[in-house]
Amino acid sequence: MILAHLLVGAQHLLAAAKHLRLRRRVSRLAAGVLEGRERREALAHVEACGRCRAEHDALRAVVALMEADPLREAEPSVPLAFLVARVEREVERSLAPAGRPRWWLVALPAAAAILAAVALVPRLVGPLRPAPEAARAAIPPAEASPLVTEDALARIERNLAREHAVRYLNEAGEVLVTVAATGTDCDRAEARLDVGRAPERSRELLERRALAVGAGAGDEAVASARGVLDDVELTLREVADLPSCVKRSDVERVRRDVDERQLLMRIRLMTRELEG
Amino acid sequence: MEPSQGGAGDRELMARLAAGDREALAPLMEKHYRRLYRIALAYLRQPDDALDVVQEAFVRAFQSAPKWDGSAEAGPWLARITVNLSIDRWRRNRRRAQTFTPLTDSDHAASLADDGPAPDRRVEGREAGERVAAALRGLPERQRAVVVLRHYQDMSLEEIAQALGMSLGTVKSSLHRALARMRAGLAGARP
Repeated sequence: MILAHLLVGAQHLLAAAKHLRLRRRVSRLAAGVLEGRERREALAHVEACGRCRAEHDALRAVVALMEADPLREAEPSVPLAFLVARVEREVERSLAPAGRPRWWLVALPAAAAILAAVALVPRLVGPLRPAPEAARAAIPPAEASPLVTEDALARIERNLAREHAVRYLNEAGEVLVTVAATGTDCDRAEARLDVGRAPERSRELLERRALAVGAGAGDEAVASARGVLDDVELTLREVADLPSCVKRSDVERVRRDVDERQLLMRIRLMTRELEG
Repeated sequence: MEPSQGGAGDRELMARLAAGDREALAPLMEKHYRRLYRIALAYLRQPDDALDVVQEAFVRAFQSAPKWDGSAEAGPWLARITVNLSIDRWRRNRRRAQTFTPLTDSDHAASLADDGPAPDRRVEGREAGERVAAALRGLPERQRAVVVLRHYQDMSLEEIAQALGMSLGTVKSSLHRALARMRAGLAGARP
């Protein structure tokens, strides 16, 4: 009799221990991390144990809640082209310190230094060692060869026009990306977005447009960019008229405009062409 | 996870990035930006922050491409960068005492595709999203990352382990602990 009671007690203890062991697996089962025999045992236990089934169902409800979350299918609010432009701009910035200097940024100060030296040295040296009259007379002013030929001047003009156009287009691209990709609220109640200094920068750029277009030899050098420059100008004019805290619909209009004209891609291609 | 998008293509693009070819950025982004955006958004619950993270992730990818192990898949590697940046962003936001702002109607409108579910299902979904957001907020950073990759990207346990640099066992324990914790959080939040 006692033995039978002991046996029943032992069976209950074993069952309780098994229940505890399997119950610990319920959250693993619901999380989908059990496999094979462990999974089968846990499933069978959940079927047989009401409390464990309730626990399992509650955990699965959390998973179902995540599966119903609309963020699973969310789309970025800006088109890929803007994101690419933003990334390229950041990459460009990160490379800038090690980048190749613009030739004219080096050449112009160097040329100025040489000219200054040419002008100053005779004045400094002159009083110490006056040149003989005969030597001065030997070279008549009319025969002096010009320092820079017409061709060289035209070449410099063309290069400068290209440099201006590239800089103008790059800066315009940055302004357009800033406006089109903004998502920063400045007035949430009114659904207004912050475009920072973009309108002001647009106005500055429009004032500088004449430099980008060039004149004479410079005009020819950027002739192929005329279409892009015109389209960029139209969009910059839209941006220039905006306040710094704009309606979301205005941002969307600019974004649509940039997108339809494929401005960012055309700016990228044109700057590469101009840079050679 | 979305179907494999051509490992060979990714490897070629990564090799080009490693060689400093910026032209490889656009096609690589085209393949992965949507997936990375969803990871960052599920983690941060803020569309603007998620976009910033995706942008930064590709900049980092370009900068780190020379160190990329050519035999590894680009997808999990990019997911890892995105998760780490999301965690950084989350910490920064918390430091600024802007820990969490539930998505507004306009945020949802902006972040959901026009051809999405019907309006009543959207409302249901939004409620689900808000409840989940609250529960996710209560998770430790790495646990939340595991949950996001599993339940928002449907990544396998092995892929998650690879992406986060964790052992398979850690991924499994993180998942079931996170689930239990979220359940407790949701039960506590009920009126």
